Amino acid sequence: MSTYIVRRLIAMPLLLLGVITVAFLLTHFTAADPLTSIIGERQMNNPAVVEAARARWGLDRSLPERYVIYLGNLLQGDMGTSFRTRQPVAHDLMVRLPATLELVISAMLLGTIFGVVLGVLAARFRDGPIDNIARFFALIGASAPVFWTGLVVLFIFSVQLGWLPGPGRIDSRAVAPPFVTGFYTIDTLVAGDWAGFRSVLMHLILPASVLGWTVTGIVSRMVRASMLDVLSQEYILAARAKGAGPLRVLINHALRNAMLPTLTILGFSFAYLITGAILTETIFSWPGIGSYAVAAARGLDNPAIVGVTIIGGAAFLITNLLTDIAYALVDPRVKLSRQEGS
Amino acid sequence: MKSHLRSLILAGTGAALLAAAAMPGVAIAQDQPLVIARNLEINSLDPHRAFCDTCQIYLSSTYQGLVRLAADDRSIEPLLATEWTANEDQTQFTFTLHPDAVFSDGSPVEAKDVKWTFERLKNVQADPSFMMNGLVSIDTPDDKTVVVNMESPNSEFIGILAAPYAGIINSDVATENGAIAGEDAASADQAETWFLANSAGSGPYVLDTYRPDDELRFRVNENYWGEAPAISEIVIDQVADAVSQAQMLQSGSADIAMQVDPDTASTISSPDITIETVPSYNFIYVMFSPGAQGAELLDLEVRQAMAYAIDYQGAIDFTVGGEGALQASPIPNGFPGTDGLPMPEENLDKAREILASKGLEDGFTLDITVASLNVYGVDLTLLMQKLQQDLARINVAINIQPVASAVWREQTANPGIPFSARFYAPDYYGSAQYVQFFGMLPDTFWERRASGQGKVDLVNQRQVELFEQALAASGDRMNELYHEIALEMIKDRIIVPVVSPNLILAYRNEIEGVRYSACCNLPLAELSRK
Repeated sequence: MSTYIVRRLIAMPLLLLGVITVAFLLTHFTAADPLTSIIGERQMNNPAVVEAARARWGLDRSLPERYVIYLGNLLQGDMGTSFRTRQPVAHDLMVRLPATLELVISAMLLGTIFGVVLGVLAARFRDGPIDNIARFFALIGASAPVFWTGLVVLFIFSVQLGWLPGPGRIDSRAVAPPFVTGFYTIDTLVAGDWAGFRSVLMHLILPASVLGWTVTGIVSRMVRASMLDVLSQEYILAARAKGAGPLRVLINHALRNAMLPTLTILGFSFAYLITGAILTETIFSWPGIGSYAVAAARGLDNPAIVGVTIIGGAAFLITNLLTDIAYALVDPRVKLSRQEGS
Repeated sequence: MKSHLRSLILAGTGAALLAAAAMPGVAIAQDQPLVIARNLEINSLDPHRAFCDTCQIYLSSTYQGLVRLAADDRSIEPLLATEWTANEDQTQFTFTLHPDAVFSDGSPVEAKDVKWTFERLKNVQADPSFMMNGLVSIDTPDDKTVVVNMESPNSEFIGILAAPYAGIINSDVATENGAIAGEDAASADQAETWFLANSAGSGPYVLDTYRPDDELRFRVNENYWGEAPAISEIVIDQVADAVSQAQMLQSGSADIAMQVDPDTASTISSPDITIETVPSYNFIYVMFSPGAQGAELLDLEVRQAMAYAIDYQGAIDFTVGGEGALQASPIPNGFPGTDGLPMPEENLDKAREILASKGLEDGFTLDITVASLNVYGVDLTLLMQKLQQDLARINVAINIQPVASAVWREQTANPGIPFSARFYAPDYYGSAQYVQFFGMLPDTFWERRASGQGKVDLVNQRQVELFEQALAASGDRMNELYHEIALEMIKDRIIVPVVSPNLILAYRNEIEGVRYSACCNLPLAELSRK
């Protein structure tokens, strides 16, 4: 397995270079001059302003020149400066990535826990009321658009009931914790700010639930199908015959085996959620990578677009690798190296 | 199994109850920060590179100009300058600075700061630099006197100085942090990053924190030389969506929501919230570009016919539910020269008659693009769909293709867009900005684009002459000249305003001092809690 991992790790930079090259070229072949995102309409007729902006942002250089300079800077951790925020893209990403990860990890946890529980219950009580309710819940989660569910839950739980706060990562009147990890849950604890920590947790509940609902839908359906398959296997019968209790059979024998295909889905869901948290972040004014990507695309913010693409590409590569490793850990029959597999 | 399920349900219910118990009440203590929900969309906080609506709020709260726009949104009143004079031909302006004015670090506001600020504004060659067009030199005979010399008459200069972008910067502090005002400022100035985290003005507030796409936080300027503002801390919270803004307002998470559209406003029924609708100086217009590819038929008469075919009131009803006003010319209602201008008229008979006289009674087809934008509550694509129906009545078919705003801007330059819609908001109080942008004067933004970069001659010589005179005139004579220019702009039929949308101010009842300002959007220093 270690050989396999090393090989994948060596291939990763090459794959990333491909991602960077494609992203860089695509952003430079769009139908609009990036200057339109830097200069307002009025000054577009002013040659002095246009020339100054081109020089300032390096747009007066040829594409190959810009590409080589970009790669050189990237090796030093410099991803350029955002046309829109006017701050280094690496800084923007460093601030926003923890926000997205905090949201996505919370959504993943909620989605997985609820998804597995619902899937197991649905399989255990197949075709009964619990199964029907679980399937309906999963169906809504998998099919309802996040921008709709987001607004609905905000209206119900924030406006009508007043149980949970509205958009944002922390109460607007509170001061954000000093940056340590960028995860507000951790940073408020590090700062000893219990009120802030409570506020952060409260602000996480709605967006994480909305985003996690999608995962719940997918996971519960997958777990249910796998569980039904596994529960009909002979070794389940054997376990029962040996006197294992229903819960032990369900959790230890059936669920463990049913989790294998679910892990694949979870791996992809995680990467999908990182890049797909766009709508949730927009609805909940969550300053993460998703909303950053939307604003960058809308504003032709080329350095930011390439930066987000690199992060997205890296996320997919890493989660694919981790999923493969998890496969091997959960199911010893899966061998990852060619020598072991042959 | 059943006991496990029961535990789960109990745990979930407990968590929900805890959540409910932990929620703070809606009543906000006096010393708590005031929260404004708004889509930030800030391009910079450097006063000389910033150019956006939120920038106007920020700059007018942290910096101060020599003069400011009064609450009547028309007259100019002293601020850092106690008095000023202009020579007869409006080429030299002399200002006397207030003896007590100090920056946020306690240092006095001096003539050298004014000179440095105006020179940097001009030389940095960014969006607001046009405000210093024609600046020749600035003399500082003493610490409190500034003499500005212009190369040609500019009667609007005092109005320009009331714009937030002309706020005076503490030159010593800015220079220490990489700011440069000299002629090499466009390439050598390195202060923008510093300005994103610091302010260096004399306004009632200073910048506390700015996190792009998250929040812009102000705290009171401890060294403020004027009357201290009532609210010590203000947060503009990034909330892009109008519905989310309204929800925050209703839940008490926000005190003011700035971009609630009429549809959303109609859903707010809380007795704790005040909703005011006020006229704005913003407007949405359609433009004709006879020099664009595929626009060969759009001569003056055809443009007139198409303008007559527009159902203006219907467009206002359709786009903003009637919450808007007609606007006569590209100079908005209420600006100098606009009193008594004829409002746009829908006249289908006249439109058909003109087209028939041109042999175009069977109409024609235009392929156009429109920016996918919702501005000031108006969805530009929806507006164009409404106009599509209107124009179909005179057999003019328009095929609409929505595109990203940046793409739209690119297309207006090349190959041009025959007919489309756009928006405008004032940069300061004064009519010259509209003539310089919309007028058919050589090299204005829309002269270049509408003419296809000069493919057809659209220059209106009468406008050129009138504008020259207006810049050298003042008072009533200036108003008369702008009135004549506005009439000429209406006759050109290049820019046709369709709707001036009202602004909705939605805020919690305990907040006072909320008002719309033509220069500054929302003057933060006037806000208070009951």
